[in-house]
Amino acid sequence: MAKAVKADMPRVARFEPFSLVWFCGLVGLAIVASLAFDPYLAYVATSWVIFGLLGLSLDLVWGRGGILSFGQTAFYGLGGYLGSITAINFASLTGNTLVWSLPVGMATGAATAFLIGGLTFYGRLGPLQTTIITYTFTLVLWTVAVSFTATVGEAVVGGDNGMSNIPGYVLGLGRDAPLLEPGAMFLTVAVIATIAWYASHVLMRSPFGLVVDCIRMDPVKAELLGYDVRLYQLLLFTIAGAVAGLAGALFGAWANYLNPSVFSVQEALLVPIYVLVGGRGTLVGAFIGALAVGGLSFWLGGGVIGGQTTLVMGACLILLVIFLRNGLTGGLKDLMELARRLARRRDQGEEAEARKSSLSVDFERLDLLRTAGGEPVVLETEDTFKRFGGVTPVRHISQSFSRGRVRCLIGPNGAGKSSYLKACTGVYKPDGGSITLAGQDITKTDPFRRVRMGLGIKNQRAQVFAGLDVRRNLWVAAYSRSRDARMADWITTEMLHMLGMRNSASRPASELSHGEQQWLDLGMVLALAPDVILLDEPAAGMTNEERRQLSHMVRALARTASVVVVEHDMDFVRTLDADVTVLHQGEVFARGDIESLRQDDRVLDIYLGRRQHV
Amino acid sequence: MELDYLATVLLSSLSSASVLLIATVGLAIVFGLMGVINLAHGEFIMFGAYVALFATRNGVPFPLAVVLASVVTALFGAIVERAIIRHLYGRILDTLLATWGLSLVLYQSAVLIFGTVTPGVGMPQSNIEIGNYTLSTYLLFLILVAVVLIGLLYWLLTRTGYGIVARAAIQDPQTAATIGIESGRINTATFALGSGLAGFAGAILLPAFPATPSMGFAFVIKAFLAVVAAGPVTLSGTVVAGGALGSIASMTASFYTTVMGDVVFFLATITILRIFPLGISARWRLKL
Repeated sequence: MAKAVKADMPRVARFEPFSLVWFCGLVGLAIVASLAFDPYLAYVATSWVIFGLLGLSLDLVWGRGGILSFGQTAFYGLGGYLGSITAINFASLTGNTLVWSLPVGMATGAATAFLIGGLTFYGRLGPLQTTIITYTFTLVLWTVAVSFTATVGEAVVGGDNGMSNIPGYVLGLGRDAPLLEPGAMFLTVAVIATIAWYASHVLMRSPFGLVVDCIRMDPVKAELLGYDVRLYQLLLFTIAGAVAGLAGALFGAWANYLNPSVFSVQEALLVPIYVLVGGRGTLVGAFIGALAVGGLSFWLGGGVIGGQTTLVMGACLILLVIFLRNGLTGGLKDLMELARRLARRRDQGEEAEARKSSLSVDFERLDLLRTAGGEPVVLETEDTFKRFGGVTPVRHISQSFSRGRVRCLIGPNGAGKSSYLKACTGVYKPDGGSITLAGQDITKTDPFRRVRMGLGIKNQRAQVFAGLDVRRNLWVAAYSRSRDARMADWITTEMLHMLGMRNSASRPASELSHGEQQWLDLGMVLALAPDVILLDEPAAGMTNEERRQLSHMVRALARTASVVVVEHDMDFVRTLDADVTVLHQGEVFARGDIESLRQDDRVLDIYLGRRQHV
Repeated sequence: MELDYLATVLLSSLSSASVLLIATVGLAIVFGLMGVINLAHGEFIMFGAYVALFATRNGVPFPLAVVLASVVTALFGAIVERAIIRHLYGRILDTLLATWGLSLVLYQSAVLIFGTVTPGVGMPQSNIEIGNYTLSTYLLFLILVAVVLIGLLYWLLTRTGYGIVARAAIQDPQTAATIGIESGRINTATFALGSGLAGFAGAILLPAFPATPSMGFAFVIKAFLAVVAAGPVTLSGTVVAGGALGSIASMTASFYTTVMGDVVFFLATITILRIFPLGISARWRLKL
């Protein structure tokens, strides 16, 4: 029974004391290294740590957020320039240089990333377009920086000649506080980098990080769970921009000099290499990658590949992408995962049969999860129509959906069922008419807001987050509704009971069978406790037994929520005892219960393509 | 403002837009027909420029050198498609990374082989006078080249077997496969076509833009932005977006600096994308 008990205590998005051990270990390692390195090595190794920090910023947006940005060096360079200009002008006031350069660098990086991210994410650009924009942004900055000259107080920005006299690392206060020795400088940078890593690590373990992971896996589903995808992406991008700006400011103080080459393509190319070598999405991998690349070229002696670094790195990037796209640590992780999966398969052999029958919906708990009672929530469309060029899939459909009896939408292919449903969910913005939910106009509302207002949407394809286990899938949905980790834990546990999936709670969703994934998807929708539930062909791909249960559940749901089912399968529709609406050529064609519609010659005509009504 | 000044500005904007179009169209074809953005496109242009340069140096007449450069770059493109792009189908961001790596490999190789500066070809420079102003005849000639090039591509994609098959393959890959279209070979051909167009651009622009290892970077900012701004309708979208953005940038550049021209180009593209997230042609009914 140990398994069942474990399933009752979900640990999702919890603080892990174990990671603090890592933090202390890394700081300890930095102390040892700073003592062991000779001054020159300590000086060079400092730059590797800075590059690792830059890699971390890319890993946040790309490895976790799924957005490939070639603009991290732009935020890095801008942070470096502005942080250093501030330090040049004000460091003499305090002695300590970092209190000036680091906050300004971070703020600059964050602000620039916020601007670029705002334009791309809120413009709803595709992933390719986003990458191109970040790349050209870096290139434009580079051409600007080459010819840009200005004098800001004491700081002289000399275009291609760069900016010199950037003060080095001073921690002490007062006018004559000493410059740090290389060893101490390395330690300082390493501690700052460890803090940045740890903060990122904790952030990505929090619900925020879990939602970011979900957005990477399936942004559409994340939005259908009520998350503001663009806001999350923008926040992540801004945070990563701050990390890049921090790295830039540290770099300026390390080199005492900055020139436009920080914006160059050659510089930018290294960042994804660090991330790829160390393993994408691992956060700590960026540092491993930077240390590996830096260390390798150091021990090979800078001269050997010195001039050809770009050549070698370019070739490396091609090879990494083709052969080792999860990097060194990623490759190891994959191997371990494989071994674990093999081991688990062995002891799951006998369990499999038990699980099949355990997939039974506990309808008693359905009411628990619903915020039932009160006024019925009505979804109403009035005169809604949608046009694409010369095609008008939805013409003036006026319908009102309320609870009590299941509502079904049927119709032959091309009748406008899916388009109408998409207008209701907000994927399509109608060209005319209005849609109201619980009396509020939602005609132009974004899908995630509709979900928050009580709309639950299940698409035809099972949409689950393949990389997460069953429990986390449900948890993400539950958290969207409650915004409270403990509440979400409770809903998740209840949901696992209800779906009869307690034994598979820790299995990755990708391992589930097709039917199980459909149930999980449905469970995620129900975890939102929607008042109106739209189901697009829910019975597709289910076994007879599963259909029977689904039919039972849909009817139970209709008692407390407005349920709309779009379905092709007439036998399934018949079991629902539903109020059926037939759509034809984008208009309501007939309405009634399924038996009377089956007797209706006009309905048979359109289904069979007979002449009279086609 | 006098009439001759106005005419000069107009013509030079038009020729800048034509230069941009010549440099972009190969990228646009690959993006439109394969959904792939080749970040090494600028270096393919450079590749073509160097081939043409060496051909003319060795006594090949310039027109023939242009043809040679196009063919050699197309072959190179076919090899790249077979060796790299092919392994990354469906992994669009990985394709970006790999071609980015390739871009720097080519750039650095050129630096190693040729050094950073090379002289241009000795073409007789002729100018025509418009009132008090003079314009290079060659730059005006490039307007004609752009028009003919677009016309030829339109013919290739709508009237030839390859063009029809390639467009079918992108519109509905599954149906295309079921009627026996081999998408692998089509993709190799398309990528080679795009690369050949890049090589052609490098060669035909050689008299006006001398070959240097970094010449690619000068073109790609505008080329990438133009393709992204153009959106899915490859040819006409690129003509409109490239023409409009190129003219705006060129006018800015003639009043301020070329750097300012790049900045304005970037800002204009961002503005366009804010209004048309998938490019200006996303809602067009045209298919090409």
